[in-house]
Amino acid sequence: MNRPDGRTGGRAVATAVLAAVFLTASPPDRLTAQDSQFGIRGLGTPGRWESVRSRSTGGAFGPFDPLSPLSEAGLADVPQLTATAMQTASYRDAAVAGTTSALRATRFPLLNVAGRVHRRLAIAAGFTTYLDRSWDVTQRDSVLLRGTLERYTDEITSDGSIADLRLAAASRLSRRIAVGAGLHLLSGSTRETAERRFDDTSFHSVQQLAEVRYSGIGLSGSLLLGVAPGLSVTGWVRADNRLRATVADTTSAETDLPRMAGGGILLAPSPSVRFAGSVAWRGWARAGAGAFDTWSWSAGAEIGSGHMPLRFGVRGGQMPFGPGPTAPTEFAAAAGTGRAFAQGRALLDVGVERLERRGGGLTERVWTALVGLTVRP
Amino acid sequence: MMARRVTLIGGVLLAAACVERVSAPGHCPAFCPSGQIEIVDTVLTSIISRDSTFRGYVTALHAPLLLAADLPGFVDGRAIFRINGFGQRFILSSTDTGAVLGADSARLQLTVARRDTGAHNLSLAFYRLPIRVDSTTTFAGLAGPFTDSLVKRVNIDTLLARPGHKDTLTGDSVVVDTVNHVLVLALKFDTAAARYVGTDSGTVAYGVRVSADSLASIAITKSTLSWQWYLRVDSIGTPVARKPGALGVAFSSFVFDPPPPPPDSTLAVGGVPSARSFLRVALPRFIRDSSQIIRGTLTLVPVAPVQGAPSDSFVVEAHTVFTDVGAKSPIIVDVTRTDTAIIHIGPRDTVRIEVTNLLQFWASDTTRATTLVLRAKQEAASFSLIRFYPSVAQAFRPALRITFVRRFPFGAP
Repeated sequence: MNRPDGRTGGRAVATAVLAAVFLTASPPDRLTAQDSQFGIRGLGTPGRWESVRSRSTGGAFGPFDPLSPLSEAGLADVPQLTATAMQTASYRDAAVAGTTSALRATRFPLLNVAGRVHRRLAIAAGFTTYLDRSWDVTQRDSVLLRGTLERYTDEITSDGSIADLRLAAASRLSRRIAVGAGLHLLSGSTRETAERRFDDTSFHSVQQLAEVRYSGIGLSGSLLLGVAPGLSVTGWVRADNRLRATVADTTSAETDLPRMAGGGILLAPSPSVRFAGSVAWRGWARAGAGAFDTWSWSAGAEIGSGHMPLRFGVRGGQMPFGPGPTAPTEFAAAAGTGRAFAQGRALLDVGVERLERRGGGLTERVWTALVGLTVRP
Repeated sequence: MMARRVTLIGGVLLAAACVERVSAPGHCPAFCPSGQIEIVDTVLTSIISRDSTFRGYVTALHAPLLLAADLPGFVDGRAIFRINGFGQRFILSSTDTGAVLGADSARLQLTVARRDTGAHNLSLAFYRLPIRVDSTTTFAGLAGPFTDSLVKRVNIDTLLARPGHKDTLTGDSVVVDTVNHVLVLALKFDTAAARYVGTDSGTVAYGVRVSADSLASIAITKSTLSWQWYLRVDSIGTPVARKPGALGVAFSSFVFDPPPPPPDSTLAVGGVPSARSFLRVALPRFIRDSSQIIRGTLTLVPVAPVQGAPSDSFVVEAHTVFTDVGAKSPIIVDVTRTDTAIIHIGPRDTVRIEVTNLLQFWASDTTRATTLVLRAKQEAASFSLIRFYPSVAQAFRPALRITFVRRFPFGAP
């Protein structure tokens, strides 16, 4: 643990261990990403399949990042066994019809382990959030019962998510070409409750709950091309079949899941300056009424290759679920940095993201703090 | 360098500290789940059948109260009780006894547990009864003593109006217990009224009639009835006064006229001896198995207005049973599974008993007998009786109004 400057790396190791404990101590039912009110009426809020490093650039580096489960081809360049985990804390203001609700949540949306098993073959396994289904809606209303207008309070909640368990492999076929493929198992559960409390206590409260289990499967593939020194492009496709929801071993719903495709470009004019941009299309309209196909884009940069690079980027696009005839939109700006410890064996990445979503009269503004820990033993 | 690192890590930990608040007001339908709580309210008229009435669960002898009433056209009820004496001799000391020469007086303490505050000139009349009164004694059998053996009369309203609630001439007094809402009467019986007859072992028996300008109906607590003798005892030729311990009643009951009518096809609840009605409910499967009951109301139509004084209003309880074996079905006495309704004297309004607790109990355990038992909360504590139309009376049959919630569509997008 002796560093070139002669100082021991003990503190750094301790810091890394502390961060690791902090990240992995989160409760397991929080394997979810940034949730949204737009996801309540649909299947949920899609997760962002990006590591902290990628997300700090607005997601622009996602298709090239071997630790982001967006595409697999980038895995071909993973140098050694690497594990990464991520935690987010979001502070969300949801404003609709003149009222604003302050919401907050802590999530643990990503765990990924990648390593090389052969000179030309690298594999990865891990999970990320496919759909977040955590929300809690309260509503005051009234209903005519037995000739009297009875006032009540409804509270309908869902707590949980659907995770994307990915097993991926990638190979560099030549100096310029790398390909990858992945198998995605969609699995998760939500604990859902429906409660109604009447003001008139003659009517007992309604309390129903269920554990809904979800399952599905998907395949993905990607290609990474080195067009020229310092210039790469990538493309990826993914197809998921159907999301099956079961309650007490009975299928309650089956929903078609989207086909997706995307691509990106990475420009590295020097080893310490990298620019990237990406675009993606997702066919969520297959999911039924109230769902839309979406486009999203991102652009970002990473400046510096030393111990603390600077990352920043922006992204925009559409949300797949929302009221009205058009898809809600979102725009975000993000920035972050990273720090290597223990002679580069532990990396702590941090970032912050400001996000705004609009649609159907609802505006969400979100601050999200991102923390990621990468370990290379 | 170290400070910078600590600041960095602290900031990271602070920003990412575990927090959770996801509850937000719903703006429906745009930002609410597609599934909604669906409530159904329905009146089921044909699910109650095989109803029947049985009488005799609690008799006047076993009732906790002594009833006395003079309600023309309805009932004439009279309380009776007997106090056993000490015998012909009285223990003066551990080695000496003396003959009881007689009684100077006696004091009767009784608690009026219920009376109608609208009754004026409420009076109690005490009659000396034969000491042989027992559970076989009838109203007609005591017609003579209740005619010619008046020993004392006290007007409660007059007593209450006196300073300190005491009558210094008669020695009577009354205490108003505002906590328990009862009157505690201490009544003095003089030598003539309280005769200690040695050959009867000092046993005395009395009957109580109540009268008022109207609404003459009271209930006396059996357990607090006590009798205090003030005796004269011979002590070696010298009469000495002795005050032995107070005596409780050896027998207490009440007689009334007319006798209760025999059970018929109507569903009767209350009265003396107490009557209970049994209703068998066929709860539909789709409600019992797939829904959540949030309110259930049993609707019963009275055949006739309930008679009595307003203070005779009583509470009807609806219970379920461990098992249905007819009249002797064991009742589940549990406050969480008991529903009640107050039966008021006079009006003939439809009686509604909330039976939500019972219906939820049946839904939670489908092996239970779905039998409802209606009984008075305090059986044989009132002459009043209510009769409902049975299930064979198609137009006025008992019905259940059930409000339930269908299964929420969990898992639907």
